[in-house]
Amino acid sequence: MSTFTRRDFLASGVLAAGTAAVPAVFAKAAFAARADGVANDHVLVALQLGGGNDGLNTVIPYADPAYASVRPTIGIPAEQVLHLDGRVGLHPVMTGIKAMFDKGHVAIVQGVGYPNPIYSHFESLAVWECADPSLSQTDGWLGKLLASQLASSAHPLTGCALGEASAPAELRATGATVSVINTAATYQIQGAGPEVAAPALYRNTTGIYGALFDQALTTAEAGIKAVQSSAASYKPAVPYDTVSTVFGSKNNLAAALQLTAQLITTVPEVRVCHVVLGGFDTHFQESSRQRQLLAYVDTAVSAFMADLAAHGQADRVVLFTWSEFGRRIVENASQGTDHGAAAPMFVIGAPVKGGLMGEYPSLTQTDSGNLVYSTDFRSVYQSLITDWLAADASAVLGATFPQTRVIA
Amino acid sequence: MPVRLSRRHVLALGAAGAGGAAAVRFAAFPGGRSGALPAKAVAAGGAPAANPLAEPRTLAAHLLRRAGFSYSTADLDSAAAMPYGDLVDRVVSTPPEPMTMPAQLGQYQAVVVAWYAHMATTAAQFPERMTLFWHGLLTSDYRKAAGLPLVAQQNALYRQKGVTDFRALLSAVTIDPLMMRYLDLDVSTAKAPNENYSRELMELFTLGVGHFTENDVREGARALSGLRLAFVDPSGAVTALPKRPKVKNPMEQQQYYQRISMMVEQGYRFAGRLNPRLHDNGTKTYLGRTGNLGPDDVVDIILAQEACAPFVATKALEYFATPNPSKELVASVASAFRSSGYDIKAMMRAIFTSADFKAAANYRSLVRSPVDYMVSTMRVLARPELARQCAQAGQYMDQVLYDMPTVGGWPVNAGWVSSGSLLSRINFAGMVARSSAALPDPATAVADQLDGIVGADTAAVFNASRTTADKWFAVLASPEFQLK
Repeated sequence: MSTFTRRDFLASGVLAAGTAAVPAVFAKAAFAARADGVANDHVLVALQLGGGNDGLNTVIPYADPAYASVRPTIGIPAEQVLHLDGRVGLHPVMTGIKAMFDKGHVAIVQGVGYPNPIYSHFESLAVWECADPSLSQTDGWLGKLLASQLASSAHPLTGCALGEASAPAELRATGATVSVINTAATYQIQGAGPEVAAPALYRNTTGIYGALFDQALTTAEAGIKAVQSSAASYKPAVPYDTVSTVFGSKNNLAAALQLTAQLITTVPEVRVCHVVLGGFDTHFQESSRQRQLLAYVDTAVSAFMADLAAHGQADRVVLFTWSEFGRRIVENASQGTDHGAAAPMFVIGAPVKGGLMGEYPSLTQTDSGNLVYSTDFRSVYQSLITDWLAADASAVLGATFPQTRVIA
Repeated sequence: MPVRLSRRHVLALGAAGAGGAAAVRFAAFPGGRSGALPAKAVAAGGAPAANPLAEPRTLAAHLLRRAGFSYSTADLDSAAAMPYGDLVDRVVSTPPEPMTMPAQLGQYQAVVVAWYAHMATTAAQFPERMTLFWHGLLTSDYRKAAGLPLVAQQNALYRQKGVTDFRALLSAVTIDPLMMRYLDLDVSTAKAPNENYSRELMELFTLGVGHFTENDVREGARALSGLRLAFVDPSGAVTALPKRPKVKNPMEQQQYYQRISMMVEQGYRFAGRLNPRLHDNGTKTYLGRTGNLGPDDVVDIILAQEACAPFVATKALEYFATPNPSKELVASVASAFRSSGYDIKAMMRAIFTSADFKAAANYRSLVRSPVDYMVSTMRVLARPELARQCAQAGQYMDQVLYDMPTVGGWPVNAGWVSSGSLLSRINFAGMVARSSAALPDPATAVADQLDGIVGADTAAVFNASRTTADKWFAVLASPEFQLK
């Protein structure tokens, strides 16, 4: 466990550059700094696997005889599975995560879901994003955390969506400040004239979108210098494979995680980051696509963790994965799988309490052909909020859940 | 060069316009006296709340911005001279203008660039706007086209059917080759139906969550099973698709796609056809109807659902009229849509002539999407050659045509506003302003594109700008130009 304090980071010259670069105007503007009630300097990274990742072919119950019969063509042969114990193992391409698991740096929570599962992408996304299976909440859970407990209004980079152009729903909430940074190179205003004129266009915008526009630009304006000086003071310690050929450029997870590492190592105020990899909606010919995607996740996350460790940041950062649902147990005729329910979550990082947690759902005792969850995803969120960020989970989740402890 | 602009009058709009509250109105006199805007502040209080859309010219501009993209002064003059009802009729009855397709039909990026240029140049603005609307609702991305000209074909289909009737559109979409690949209908069989299209057809395209069951998803998939992609000759007869070269020789591959591209230009096309041997001929019960149902039945049964017209009307209202349509408004537009036999023009006429469309609260109540923003910029500057830059810049604003983030399409309104995407719009505005050799008069743009109604920030930056390029930057990067 880390015993660093924020002061230790501020004392380091490299990191101080990022702090000094935040202009005073930010604190003076609509964003008066609040008392920082946060007890530590930990960072949480959310990695969204968009489209509904097939958990059954990610954490594979290779020893269960039912597995081969429900996955006759897309099943992974037991001898190729990276065994975690005598029952389950990882997809063969996940060698980096397997190595981290062996070091005790990966918690795999099995059979995660929620009551009365929804098979619509968008509704189930909203359930996870707002941590609310009743779909009555509209604010994202990480957004609520940013607004209520991480003082995101005091620093533009406290909450970041990286490698993206729109703010993800998970981070959007009333009062939450979020910087959305596609690439560091494009996160600036080009041209001396526009640099002056553009912010002046968005000071007191009227109308229903006025505050939204002004906040977006004030956040950008305040974050630009920090991002640019961050880029100047960071070098990746390990190579990231940022030339992605997996389903197009919008899936550039490695570049997004490299930018995440850059900001974490150089800007101590960064606390919550969101990155996403899409393409997991594998209704058709799942094997080749999921193999590519999981290999990409594995290499990108491995590089990210190694990079953080080389920069002395490993004890400050925990990454978790989530997806809107798992997939149907029985494969379809297109060598793919349709929308399903429960699936595993990964929590990765040196501070993690490693190992397999929760129960693997039965392949035969099912809910209309879908896996039955055994761990509510909010129990994992509960641990991430309380054990990792030392924040108040009930304020974010609306209740206290029996926590699945994923932090050592 | 100082722009000759003098503020003629200052209006206090009160809470009138959503985007126009406490705005400054100024009129442009391109040939008039030079000078800065008076420093006198907007009169505080006192003036009655005014609806900018009560002015015929502003209402005409409001309609043109939403039913199309931006417009020339001549377009606006002609529109403003007509009674509003006649203008709406003229707009919705505009026939589509076929798009000039690129030489390489199978390269979707080339199709996207051609589409940007077409949106920027065609006089048939409303059909083009509808093409974009349907593309965002009945979504397909480019990936599974795999080099075949399926994106070009779907693009032409939405343009051709997008202003006809919803039944014809939906039937054609269900057997559209790009859609069939995108949502896996082309691999669905009786033995194991693929549910992807069946689900999204109901959830995202026609009915919405809560108006079907999981069993309907499964039964619909059975009814839709057995559709396959065919290659048909100009007479409509199925013919063999030229064999793809086996060797991964880039030269041969290129020749192969060129050959397909040429055949499509000669009238060959891809088509969805039902293969009876792969279709489930059993009895299905779908949305309450039982029988040996097939793809046509699925479309008919969906259109017979009470939820269909309100669902589509809501999508159209949110896109064209108001971020939060009332129940009454939805019901009234849905009723016009349904009673006309799903005539798309009837639905759009009902939207454009509704009281809500003309209400003060809906002045600047919609955020221009990135495509809308960039196409409007090209049109207002008459620079369609920026199409390629638009296609590239789209990714930093989160809108790449034929590459939506999910099958649910793109965000709307507030969803478009983030720190990063706003920076990208500003940088696009800067690039355009700097790279234009002969810029028109920016004061005319303020008068025509922004209705002469801008906030104090925009007025101040515009006035402080010394060059024409800087003034254009102020217009294009302003909050007012991001809205419509």
